[in-house]
Amino acid sequence: MKGRGTRILAHVFLVIVTLATIYPIVQIVGISLRPADRLYSTSLRVIPEDATGKAYHAVVFEKDFLLWLRNSTIVSAIVTLVGVALASTAGYVFSRFRFVARRFGLYSLLIAQMFPATMLLLPLYVLMKGLHLLDSMVGLAVAYVATALPFCVWTMKGYYDTIPKELEEAALIDGASYWRAFRTVVLPLAAPALAITAIFSFMSAWSEFMVARVIVSTRTLYTLPLGLESLSSTFQTEWANYAAGSVLVSLPVVLIFLFLNRYFVSGLTLGGVKQ
Amino acid sequence: MRASTEKKLFPYVLLLPTIIVMVTVVAYPLVYNFVLSFKNMSMYHYYDANFVGFRHYSSIFTERELYWVFGKTLIWTVANLFFHVALGVGIAMLLNGRIVGGGVFRSLLILPWAVPQYICALTWRGMFNHEYGAVNLILKNVLHLAPIPWFSDATWAFVAPIITNVWLGFPFMMIVALGGLQSIPHELYEAAELDGAGALGKFRNVTLPLLKPVLAPAVVLGTVWTFNNMNVIWLVTGGGLPADKTHILVTYIYKAAFTYYRYSYAAAFSVIVFFLLLGFTFAFMRYFKITEAVFE
Amino acid sequence: MTKTLRFCVFSLLSLGLVCACLSGCARKEDSSIAIWEQMDPEEQKLLDSRLAAFQASHPGVKVTRLHFETELLRTQFQTAALAGGGPCLVFGPSDQIGPMSTMRLIQPLSELLGRDFLSAFMEGSLDTLNGEVYAVPDQVGNHLALVYNKKFVKEAPATTDDLMALARKNTVDENGDGVVDRYGLVFNTVEPFWLVPFLGGFGGWIMDAQSRPTLDSPAMVKALAFVRDLRIKHAVMPKECDYQQAETLFKEGKAAMIINGPWSWGGYIGAGIDVGVVPIPKVSETGLWPSPMVSSKGYSVNVHCPKEKIATVKELLEFLTSTENQLESARKIKMMPARKAAAEAIGSIGDPFLESSLAQLRLGRRMPVVPEMRAIWDSMRPAFQNVLNGETTPEAAAAQMQKAAVESIAKMKE
Repeated sequence: MKGRGTRILAHVFLVIVTLATIYPIVQIVGISLRPADRLYSTSLRVIPEDATGKAYHAVVFEKDFLLWLRNSTIVSAIVTLVGVALASTAGYVFSRFRFVARRFGLYSLLIAQMFPATMLLLPLYVLMKGLHLLDSMVGLAVAYVATALPFCVWTMKGYYDTIPKELEEAALIDGASYWRAFRTVVLPLAAPALAITAIFSFMSAWSEFMVARVIVSTRTLYTLPLGLESLSSTFQTEWANYAAGSVLVSLPVVLIFLFLNRYFVSGLTLGGVKQ
Repeated sequence: MRASTEKKLFPYVLLLPTIIVMVTVVAYPLVYNFVLSFKNMSMYHYYDANFVGFRHYSSIFTERELYWVFGKTLIWTVANLFFHVALGVGIAMLLNGRIVGGGVFRSLLILPWAVPQYICALTWRGMFNHEYGAVNLILKNVLHLAPIPWFSDATWAFVAPIITNVWLGFPFMMIVALGGLQSIPHELYEAAELDGAGALGKFRNVTLPLLKPVLAPAVVLGTVWTFNNMNVIWLVTGGGLPADKTHILVTYIYKAAFTYYRYSYAAAFSVIVFFLLLGFTFAFMRYFKITEAVFE
Repeated sequence: MTKTLRFCVFSLLSLGLVCACLSGCARKEDSSIAIWEQMDPEEQKLLDSRLAAFQASHPGVKVTRLHFETELLRTQFQTAALAGGGPCLVFGPSDQIGPMSTMRLIQPLSELLGRDFLSAFMEGSLDTLNGEVYAVPDQVGNHLALVYNKKFVKEAPATTDDLMALARKNTVDENGDGVVDRYGLVFNTVEPFWLVPFLGGFGGWIMDAQSRPTLDSPAMVKALAFVRDLRIKHAVMPKECDYQQAETLFKEGKAAMIINGPWSWGGYIGAGIDVGVVPIPKVSETGLWPSPMVSSKGYSVNVHCPKEKIATVKELLEFLTSTENQLESARKIKMMPARKAAAEAIGSIGDPFLESSLAQLRLGRRMPVVPEMRAIWDSMRPAFQNVLNGETTPEAAAAQMQKAAVESIAKMKE
């Protein structure tokens, strides 16, 4: 980035955007601190005069928050691992190999995404019932992996497309097997895309509600979104608890992002191959 | 012999798990809906639904009002995607350079994606409140402009969820763009500079082509998801305020199925939406040559 | 086969085995009775304590409950029941009976539970559709009433003219900064449910005896004009007043009066407001009392509930709706009982809220449970909002509502 002026402008712009972005979040924190379940407020004060942390205590200790957390963590972890494994391999195949029905395969991954989700829920229920996967973590994991895969496979494929083939070819000539070439040469270079896939798969499971609502009907299996929803009624939602729960639910996501952040930083680039 | 068998089998073995999962979960619901769209299943004809052929399709295509709703859906989708991509890519490019506190910025900017959508949408709805919402208060007291009747005017009631959805969606694009930018070696930028390219030239010749393969799936799927996004509009406008004027196609489908119990009609509608989006995807992919590799 | 190939095949097989195991383990023999409900938080707590008591006195029986938001409850129950599953009992407002019984998802109850069982409940609390009863009522109510903050309103208004005067008097800008600090009368102006009392007060109703919509009537025009004037002409409420807004204002002491139902009164008391409740005052022009809709909430039985469980289900229903339990609900959460014996004992509790609630209930009118209701609500809503925004005249809106309702009902029956 050239020029001090441009750099200062960039920082100012980022600060403004960030402030605008977090303002609604700050409001949500405010809701979680207000007594008497007031969703709206007539004052602009973020921290209300009668602020109380009761809601956080109530959500964690009086509701089954820890149970929901456990379930969500297990399901999201499975979905992330399986999603990354399947997407990294399938994406590689689509990128490097030319075979019959390659284009068809790529497009058909997308078709489920195009169908309005509301109409897919009833047949999904029937399907899961038939497979005896209702009320099970496996059922949830399978559904979520299917939701996340299209984007992940395409993204991995796209990223692999930007990695020149010469790199693996060099390894293959040296006698490595396809798998070895993939694992030791290409995969490390695709780290940023793997990070995207990991975060996306995680979010597909962590914050998803509709599919969970259809598949799960036992309280011991509630995931966080289901647990939060159980706090709402048509007119009398426990807003403070709901907001507190939402704040708590977003913390792990930020943590994971922080953990994966290093893959989004310049430095892990190709180097070594001149165009 | 071994090597070439391995070569032939390798791709299929790697693909097999993915294929199994996708076919299992996706095939049945899709086929179910296709079949359903040709029947007349509804509340009064649940157990005795008959085949009625293309009746629902023709009634959908001949209903004038739906074209207007389709137009609104297009505006919704295009406006959202434009800002998602512009903001996402723009911020990513800034964050990719030398920024003090880059990590802090990134962690904060991801919050709209991290916090559950339901409460975010409702909070935004509160912020658009005419008397007490933060948006109007800022307009009035800080910028000295007139407050906007967000939910009593049909146009503004459409802008409100757009703003909300842009806020909700740009972090995702930002992350994808950030990831994609990592695949671009510094040397290419340097080479372009040596050739005399300015900022715009570098963007067009170096950044864009290498960003395209990674960004394209996000743009295509982002378009599809936004087109079918019911929740944000529903929550921010409180269910179609004012007077059902903020509906998009997918909210119509929801109403048909769950308010009026016209399941087959809703299924037919969904099939139409499906083909619309499929056509768009095809066209987009072909035009921008997404399925090909960058270096071929 | 190469090492990697073998590895892949092996992991696929083991993954498959693990899946089969896990899903098999997840399917235990389910002998419990499940209840899906949409109750408010306070009700849920009472239900939990009653289920605990029932299970303690019936060893070996397990009853679980699952909470849903009302709309979600409807769609989820439909999905599950259409696919042959779902809970044995579903608790919800009476208007869910219409669609669910038409789609044959819930069972008719007179044979299942017996005429004696049902005759213990008040006539007015049992909704019948096509001559059959489909829900055991737990409470009667859901009716709107006028709630006022005693700090600002010393004497409750007796007629709508009084109401308007009081509301205008209480819409003040106390510190002269151009911003209204207190509104006179607020309520949810988004949902037509809040329009209905006034429709009754002007002499009209939403449908006739044959369940045909009668929305295009002079009474409707007057009711629409009345609410519109409250908002636009007299400006006693904020411009875009929805449920949450009204609640916030009243709970913060920034509104003198609110129109809301019994489910909300406890929340106001909890927010520290000194509230009084009266029936919505008589319409000055007609001398009629506004008639908010009254409906029951009750338990329906899923058609797929196994026959073996029905005896226990019957006992459970008897227990949950017992006189004792209904009176407890009345005392604790101000819910009007549906059982005759309990209703007769209400006076003995001596709660002014209950008495006001009863007074309003007597002036209310039963909410129809026919499936067409959904179409009617849906047709009323946009036209109602258009009038309040000043975009249509009440006459045009009434005609618009009627046309839309007739069309939607026809399409539903296609």
